[in-house]
Amino acid sequence: MAGIRIEHVTKSYGGLTVLKDFSLDITDGEFVVLVGPSGCGKSTMLKILAGLEEASSGKVSIGERDVTDLAPGDRDIAMVFQNYALYPHLTVRKNMGFGLKMRGTEAGEIDRRVTEAAKILGIDHLLDRRPRALSGGQRQRVALGRAIVREPLAFLMDEPLSNLDAKLRVHTRAEISALHKRLGVTTIYVTHDQTEAMTMADRIVIMKDGEIQQIAHPDTMFREPANLFVAGFIGSPGMNFLQSPVTSAGNGAQARLFGQEVPLLVANASTLAGRDAVFGLRPEHISAGPGPVSFEVQPRLIESLGSEQYVYVDLPPENRVGQTPHATAEEDGRGNALIARLINPDGAPLAERLTLSFDPARLHVFDAVTQEAIR
Amino acid sequence: MKRNCLDSVLLYATAILTCALLVFPIYWLVVTALSEPDQLRQLPPKFWPDQPRWGVFAQILAERPILQWLGNSALAAIGAVTLSMTVSVLAGYSLSRFKVRGGQSLGLFILTAKMLPATLLVIPLFGIFRQLELIGSLWSIILAHATLIIPFTTWMLKGYFDTIPRELEQAAMVDGCSPLGAMVRVILPVSAPGLAATALYGFVLSWSDYAYARTFLTNAQTNWTANLGITTMKGEYVSNWSDISAASILVALPILLIYLFLERYLVGGLTAGSDK
Repeated sequence: MAGIRIEHVTKSYGGLTVLKDFSLDITDGEFVVLVGPSGCGKSTMLKILAGLEEASSGKVSIGERDVTDLAPGDRDIAMVFQNYALYPHLTVRKNMGFGLKMRGTEAGEIDRRVTEAAKILGIDHLLDRRPRALSGGQRQRVALGRAIVREPLAFLMDEPLSNLDAKLRVHTRAEISALHKRLGVTTIYVTHDQTEAMTMADRIVIMKDGEIQQIAHPDTMFREPANLFVAGFIGSPGMNFLQSPVTSAGNGAQARLFGQEVPLLVANASTLAGRDAVFGLRPEHISAGPGPVSFEVQPRLIESLGSEQYVYVDLPPENRVGQTPHATAEEDGRGNALIARLINPDGAPLAERLTLSFDPARLHVFDAVTQEAIR
Repeated sequence: MKRNCLDSVLLYATAILTCALLVFPIYWLVVTALSEPDQLRQLPPKFWPDQPRWGVFAQILAERPILQWLGNSALAAIGAVTLSMTVSVLAGYSLSRFKVRGGQSLGLFILTAKMLPATLLVIPLFGIFRQLELIGSLWSIILAHATLIIPFTTWMLKGYFDTIPRELEQAAMVDGCSPLGAMVRVILPVSAPGLAATALYGFVLSWSDYAYARTFLTNAQTNWTANLGITTMKGEYVSNWSDISAASILVALPILLIYLFLERYLVGGLTAGSDK
């Protein structure tokens, strides 16, 4: 096991820079998740770490060793690929033992380690099968087994759950976390799924357009997003955004939301006085019934998930954000709507007109120009 | 339901007709070989001889050095295929995996050799082989056949390698293989169906050549290939078509056996299970 240090790594293809000055220190045994939308450079960074891509500039160290110019096989890392990349002409046993064989490990030791890893993953009964005779979940376990059997300094995982169905994904997610706790090996995990990032990571590195947006513990990232992009990306459903000019009010500042003046409780809100700001409000921080700031709405759509309901309402025109700050396609057009996530254990039908409310202390404030969070 | 039945009838009828069209020349070759020469032109034609000449094959083998010609053909084809596959595998893999400046143009340039008719290359090749003192040697047709086979097999293999996920060799490299090691240990075994099909194509091309053999193997008949040998059985005034047909069957048999042997590799699906 070892820590990993990435220093000022950039990657360009001709004139296109896909990774810009990426620096990250990963401590020994840490589980770090690189997350971001497609094309943000997370997989490129992982391949540079693995030695499968060459960095245009910068330095990568694993443990105390500079591995920037080393071949993938000399870095003592193991990688789990999105499509598993199992060798189709070899049995599960030979797939798992391939890396050890390449390193000249003696046959008895290979067999012992393969059997042990297979038992940990519950695939010891599949050792003599070929990959084509396995289900998707079993192939995924074999890919994991091939990684752990080598006892490498670090695991690199490139969206290893994205080919599994939703139920199996949740199950395997928990298994990978448990495996990490058991083995304690430094792990860098790439995903575009913020739920995976939130549930598995010790630290999340969120990326956009080749740049790091924020590095933080999942809870910190959820509660204190650094900018509009992070705020919109983390959380499901994503954060609601409302726009309003900020005005001074006594010693503080206020904004006009849902037709009423709402005091802004963040310390530096008054620095925005006279300018537009974007306000973030998480769907789960909106309640049914009256509260500190109440407003009446007519739901546009109600989605019921059994114990909770997502209520979609139109934003007042003056609070609509011109351009949605989050990049995911399914959230396009969210600038006009607000989603409230209401806990409704009894499944009682909601009325045609609803009173919703929120606590101003829950509002996140962002500079409309720089998109940075104001605290 | 009725429509399905009609579809099946049409499907089977088309399949049977197609098979009949393809198999008939082979059937007629057998009939010709087994018939007495004077029965060949009789009308109406006989679709099976009254007294098949089963001994014709032994007779041909005794009268002509067919086995030696077959051996020469086999040596030439194996040599040409080995040389071509060695070059094509490396070239096809490089074209598939490495993006280098001018790579696309280089690939197309290789293909232009395939666009030239074989007869156009005979004269320059003859000049080259005469300089190298290879005229009359099997090496001449091994090299000449390779010039025909390599362009096509390179592109055929490039296309096959393109279908194999890059992650397979990336996984092998993370596991400790060099790029060449990843190709040899992982990509080539996975490509067995493509390699078999390509090698078979090259083998058939070499086996069926006549023009190059006629031009370069001008000395003693012990150096002739099977195709060249068979054509010498045709006389200027009289040709024994029954014997020629019997010899043709003997020459076609090896290809048939090789096809049967390679058939399981020709069926794709070996890569099944490598990914999702």
